[in-house]
Amino acid sequence: MGTNPVPNKKLAIFTATGCRACENAILDIHYQVSSLARCADIAFWPYMLGSEVRDLEKQESIDVCFFAGAIRTSSDREAALKLREKSRIMVACGACAAFGGMPGLVNISQWSVVSGQSQRTMDNKQQTNEEEKPELPPLESRVLGLPQIVKVDYLVPGCPPTQNFLWAAIQSLVCNGQSPARLSFAASRLPEAIAQAITSGILPPKGSIFAGEKAVCASCSRVKEEKRFETYKRPYQAYEELGRCLLEQGLVCQGITTQEGCGGLCTAMGQPCRGCFGKAEAIFDPGAKMVSAISSTFDSDDAQEIAALVDDIVDLVGTFYRYTLPTQCALFSTPSKD
Amino acid sequence: MKNMTFEPLRWQEDPVRITVFHDTEYLQAYFQVSAPRDIEWICKGRPVEELPRILTILSPPHHLASAMALDRLFEVEPPPLAVNMREALLQAHVFRHHLRKLYFLLSSWQNPFLDYKTRESRGEQHMVPSHILDKIMHHVSLSQETAAILGGRCDHPLSAVAGGVSRFLKEDHYHRLSEIAESCLKFGMRLGKFLRDEIFGDGKALDGFQNLQIEPMASLALAEKDDNVVLRDPVEKEMDRFSPDMIFEKIGLHKELWTHEPFAYVKGQSKDEIKNIFNSQFFFVGPLARLNSGEELGSPLAEEERQRLIEALGPFPHFGVVAAYWSLLVELLQAAEKMTELYAEEKLTGPDIRTIPSEMGREGYGALESPQGLIYHHYQTDERGIVEDIEVLDTATENNALHCLLTQKAVEVSMAQGKTREEMKNLIEMSLLPF
Repeated sequence: MGTNPVPNKKLAIFTATGCRACENAILDIHYQVSSLARCADIAFWPYMLGSEVRDLEKQESIDVCFFAGAIRTSSDREAALKLREKSRIMVACGACAAFGGMPGLVNISQWSVVSGQSQRTMDNKQQTNEEEKPELPPLESRVLGLPQIVKVDYLVPGCPPTQNFLWAAIQSLVCNGQSPARLSFAASRLPEAIAQAITSGILPPKGSIFAGEKAVCASCSRVKEEKRFETYKRPYQAYEELGRCLLEQGLVCQGITTQEGCGGLCTAMGQPCRGCFGKAEAIFDPGAKMVSAISSTFDSDDAQEIAALVDDIVDLVGTFYRYTLPTQCALFSTPSKD
Repeated sequence: MKNMTFEPLRWQEDPVRITVFHDTEYLQAYFQVSAPRDIEWICKGRPVEELPRILTILSPPHHLASAMALDRLFEVEPPPLAVNMREALLQAHVFRHHLRKLYFLLSSWQNPFLDYKTRESRGEQHMVPSHILDKIMHHVSLSQETAAILGGRCDHPLSAVAGGVSRFLKEDHYHRLSEIAESCLKFGMRLGKFLRDEIFGDGKALDGFQNLQIEPMASLALAEKDDNVVLRDPVEKEMDRFSPDMIFEKIGLHKELWTHEPFAYVKGQSKDEIKNIFNSQFFFVGPLARLNSGEELGSPLAEEERQRLIEALGPFPHFGVVAAYWSLLVELLQAAEKMTELYAEEKLTGPDIRTIPSEMGREGYGALESPQGLIYHHYQTDERGIVEDIEVLDTATENNALHCLLTQKAVEVSMAQGKTREEMKNLIEMSLLPF
């Protein structure tokens, strides 16, 4: 022992309210790219190691915490506060933690404690015996992203995050660039400041987002012809699966407002972008930008024609803020804890 | 009265809390899902064609069930190529899901994230050699690669759309898919031998679980031949057979205030009998529920494994933890065999990938056997295709009663054997894992 001059970092991985896709993505890094054990001791990972929140008390400190999932219950809030208190670096991992994610769409719906099922099918009769029953953690008044609860140092967006950016984050925050052979992989498509930090073995600037620099359109493989928005189409209707830009074909595709990093994954599959990487840096509000982008390219000067076209467009909020309603919608969001 | 709380639990997809109340004469454990999933509120108001991409947050097979519901809603039939691609994607997920659970089982006796040096320095001896765990994870990643090829992404796939799939496969994918399927099948056979030799048998690693089982319970599964839902009583006798769209006429949901997950139960003759449902009308779904039908499997290697299970544990039905783990292996082999069959170029080639809907429908449903068990979707929309009502029956709801009963059983066994808090938590986690 004692041959390793740099002690392993202590890592915490936690999901609040969300699916397990972000944790699976981290697990994939462990077995597909490199063993995490080489550079990190996993001190807290409930999903894989069964760690309980009270185990955190025993930890003096955590070096890096990857926090996934949105804040939906008081337990989520308490875990976020506790992990922030213990962690030197807090990373919001995935769209739910970074922006509120799809659970955030609940914020535009009527509240209910009934989960997942229509009231019509639910039998709400309660057992009326006298037995003592356990309690549930209270629900938050609205679904929040992690940055609205605690100060977050870095974001790794995506639903789920892509392997190369997650690996870049682990390389630069956990491993301090200890595996040179993997650096080119980690640094691919990263903004220059982050890439330089990784290759130099120093921490990237606080607040960095592990994603590309431009919008998804910059890496989308589809052909853009600068055509006008003539008609509105929905994804169940006929369009060219390959080739032409989806927006130019009349589909609402958010590539123009979304931060790059996925490599145009959805558009390459013939499906429009829904913005899981959050808004691109230069954009104030992704929904407002989409409205402006679409309306400025309408191929008509006739007010009635434009009104008819607009009437066809459905569910603007649920589409433009599919992953970002709690944090990036200027009308709905609350400020982050910066 | 004392109480104990365990939160969260290992390997559970939902946030789970176990609360145990106990004194000298009383012992009651509660399996609580501690956060709502809000599916109804996330989906209402969305365009219906977006649901396959949204509902993947439940699990990847929900993507496929949702696409099937859209096929019915838009009254379109997917072309054969699309049907095969969807089935190929489903089998990749079955293989991945079962293999991951077996990995969790095999890595449960050690910390899978310790490096070799630390393990050596601690002088730890493990019943599962590291190279076996590495091989499992390699094949998990291979099955994920096929799922990404077929679905666009492994978790949260996006290829299935109303009337088919969104894209043809690329030329170089055909060879890769069949290469992976072959490798998965060979590995499945090797893993089967290891599990039989070292883990499943008497006096082996799962010895402490031999008697851990629940009272006989009804099961619910899709019939392979006619896609009807079959409800079997605890002794394997068919109680009811009905079209999937009748599910919510036959199955009721009961809500308790101490958990966000409702309980699914077989509706009785009278609604006033609700008090009795905790005794008689629960059912479970999943690999063991499917095998409890006692029917022969079409895939030879899986059938061979099923016979080995019968030889070792007796004829179906089974309600024990060991049988549940073994059923994962049987279905893993079945999935690998189906993958080798489906991942042939001629099955994944065709002139069309999608039937374009001609008009908007108002109602649709879809049901399929996901790796965890039967799932069902039902949508109603307005005239513009905006979701007005949605009902999703997920395996977490269907198996909620089973989870509660297993938790109670594991706590009772632990208390009777004087186990420590940590040992009790471990027993609960390992009992819940294979279902």
